[in-house]
Amino acid sequence: MSDSVIANYKLAKAPIYSHCFSQDRSILAVTLNTDCLVFKMVPNGKPQLVASLSDHDKTVTAVDISIHGRILTCSQDRNAIVWEPLSDGSYKPTLVLLRINRAATCVRWAPSGYKFAVGSSARIIAVCYYEQENDWWVSKHIKKPIKSTVNCLSWHQNGIILACGGTDGYVRAFSGFVKGLDSKDQVASSPWADKFPFGALVREWYNGAWIHDVEWRSSQEKLAYVTHSGSFNVVDSSGQMWAAEYPEGLPLTSVVWVNDHEAVCGGFACHPVLFTEGASGWQFSKNIDKTVASRTPVAATFDEEGQDETGSFGISALKKFKDLDLKGKVSTQVQECTHENAIMELAPYSEASGNVTEISSCGLDGKVVIYRV
Amino acid sequence: MSQSLRPYLTAVRYSLQAALNLTNFSSQEVERHNRPEVEVPNTSAELLLQPMHVSRNEHEQVLIEPSVNSVRVSIKVKQADEIEQILVHKFTRFLEQRAESFYVLRRVPIEGFSISFLITNKHTETMKTEKLVDFIIEFMEEVDKEISEMKLFLNARARFVAEAYLGEFVY
Amino acid sequence: MEDWRRIDIDAFDPDSGRLNVEDLKPPYEATISLAELEPKISQLRSAATSGDFATALQLLTSDPPYSADETAKARYFEAVLSVLTQVRQAEIASLIKQLSSTQIDVLIKYLYKGMSVPDGQKQGGILLSWFEKLTQNSGVAPVVRYLSDRNTV
Repeated sequence: MSDSVIANYKLAKAPIYSHCFSQDRSILAVTLNTDCLVFKMVPNGKPQLVASLSDHDKTVTAVDISIHGRILTCSQDRNAIVWEPLSDGSYKPTLVLLRINRAATCVRWAPSGYKFAVGSSARIIAVCYYEQENDWWVSKHIKKPIKSTVNCLSWHQNGIILACGGTDGYVRAFSGFVKGLDSKDQVASSPWADKFPFGALVREWYNGAWIHDVEWRSSQEKLAYVTHSGSFNVVDSSGQMWAAEYPEGLPLTSVVWVNDHEAVCGGFACHPVLFTEGASGWQFSKNIDKTVASRTPVAATFDEEGQDETGSFGISALKKFKDLDLKGKVSTQVQECTHENAIMELAPYSEASGNVTEISSCGLDGKVVIYRV
Repeated sequence: MSQSLRPYLTAVRYSLQAALNLTNFSSQEVERHNRPEVEVPNTSAELLLQPMHVSRNEHEQVLIEPSVNSVRVSIKVKQADEIEQILVHKFTRFLEQRAESFYVLRRVPIEGFSISFLITNKHTETMKTEKLVDFIIEFMEEVDKEISEMKLFLNARARFVAEAYLGEFVY
Repeated sequence: MEDWRRIDIDAFDPDSGRLNVEDLKPPYEATISLAELEPKISQLRSAATSGDFATALQLLTSDPPYSADETAKARYFEAVLSVLTQVRQAEIASLIKQLSSTQIDVLIKYLYKGMSVPDGQKQGGILLSWFEKLTQNSGVAPVVRYLSDRNTV
C-alpha cells in the first residue's frame, strides 16, 4: 500500500458497483447484490452498518445521496426507490414510477436535490421529480435519439443540462428542464443553447467506444468522459475536443474532476490515474497508488525470455526446473495496488479551495478506498 | 517452450487481457434477464466487440469473441493425423462432461474448434483476471503435451499388443 | 403453417431502437472504390519488391481504406499481407519503433485480420512475431483500442 491511500475498507465479499457518501461524509451507502447497505462512518475505525435497504429483488446497480440526505437506489429489477431518513435512524422507501421496462443502470440527483435522473437499458432516461398532491415521484422520459443502454449520467451545476453516455458510443447532453421546478434564470447565459425545452438534445459527440462515465466541470463549461477503449476525453461548448490515451491501455470506468486542469480516472487497471491539462492539451500525468507496473507481469517475464532467445536458447534441465519454480510462485504474487479488482466508481471526498484533495472509490473486490490526490 | 509457441501464447495472453474487462450488464432485449451477450442470438450489435483471431497455423488457432459481459474463447488444438483427432475428441469430451467443475468451460465447442470457454462477469468478479488468463494459457500448453504423450503411449501399447498377438504365429 | 410463435415482433418495430452491424459503422464522408485503391496497392507492392519496407509500412499504416467494400478490402489486404510477410524477423522491432500510436492501431487490425483468413494463417508464425514485437513496444493498449474500434480493414 502506498502513502496515497488514506483509508481502505473491505466492506463485502461481493462486488460494489456504486457507492456514495452523504454531504457531511458521515454516512456511506454502497450497493451489494440486491441490497443497499448504509454505513455510519466511525473516525479511525471500520464503518458501522446501520441499515440494510433491501426492497429490490435484482442486482442494485447504483446509489446516490441527495444534499438533503435522501438515498436513491436503482436496480436491474426496473425500479428506483427513494429512501427518506426518519428520525429513529430507519429509512422510509418510496417507489418511483419510472415506467421503464428494462434494468435501471445509473442514478444521479440534480444539484438542487429536488429531482433526479435514472438511466436505463430501455434506451430511456427518466427524469423524476416529486409531486406533492399525490405524494409520489413521477417521471418524464427522454428517449430520442438514445440507441442503447445508458451507462452514466451527470447533471450540470445549473441543474438543467443532463449529460449521458452509453454503449452506443455517443455522449449526449439533454435538457432536463422541469416546468414548475426549474426557472429559466438557471440557464440564463448558458453557452450551450438559447432554449431548453424538456428532452431537447443540446449537443452530441460521437466516440464509437462504449462510454463508461461522464462528468461536468460546470465552472469551465466542459464535459469529461471516459471510454472502454481507455481514452479520456474533454469537450466544450464551442466544439473543441481534447483526448488523452491511457498508456497502460485498460478501459477506464470512472472520472472525477480535481480542478480545472486535472482529472482522476479509475478503471480496470485497479488504481486511479491522473490526467493533466498542459500547454499541449490533456495528457496522462501519473498513476496513483501503484508501486510497480501492475497487470503486466507477463510482459516482463516474456521480455526476459525474448532476450535470451537470440543467445543460448536451449532446454537445459536447470531452466526447466526454474520454469517450474516460477509457475509455482505465480500464486503468491505480491499485491500491487489497494484495489484487487477493477474500480467501478470514483467520487470526490473532500475539497479545499476549489481543489479536490481526496477521492473515494469502490470496486469489484468489495472495497471502498479513499485516496489522497 | 518451442520457438513459435511463445509468440502464440503471448498474443493470446494480450488478447485475453484486453477482452476480460467485463461489466455487469442486464439484457436490453428481455426484461429482468441478465445473460451473456456473446451467447444469445444477438440483436444488439453494439454490445459485441471485434472478434480476435490468433493463429499459429491453419491447425492451431484461438478465437476470442468479447462482449460487454462475457468472453468466449475457442481453441483449435493441433490434430496432425487421425489418431490425434480421436484423442483430442475423447479428451475434450471427457473435460466437457465435467464442465461444472471447471466453471469457465463450455459444454459444447463452437463450430470448427476443439474446445470452448465462456467467461462471464460473474467469473471476473470472483476470480482474479490474471489467474483466469494463466489458466487458459496453461491449458493450451498442457493440452498439446498431453495429446502427444497419449499418442506415444497408445503407439507403444499397440506395438506391444501386436507383438504379443503375432508372437503366437512364430515357431 | 408458419411458426408464428417464433416471430420476432420487435424486429418489425422501427422504434425498437436496435442496432445492427451496419448501424455501427462510423459515418464516412465518402466511400473508396477498388479503382481508387489500385495505385496504392501497386505502390505497396513495388516498395516491398524493392525491399523498402520502412516506406511500405508507413504507407500501409496511414489512411487505411475503412470505407471500402469487402472485396476491395480483401484485394488491398493481399498486398498488405505480402509486405508483412516479406519483412525479415530481425527488422520487425526496429520498423515498429518508427510508427506512431495511431499507426500501430492500424497495424494491429491487419495482424488480427491476417490471422483470421486462411492466407494469413499459413503465415501465422510471421504475423505472430509482428504481434509480439508490437506488444513489446506498446503493451496491451493497442489491443484494447482494437476491440472498441468500429473501423475495420
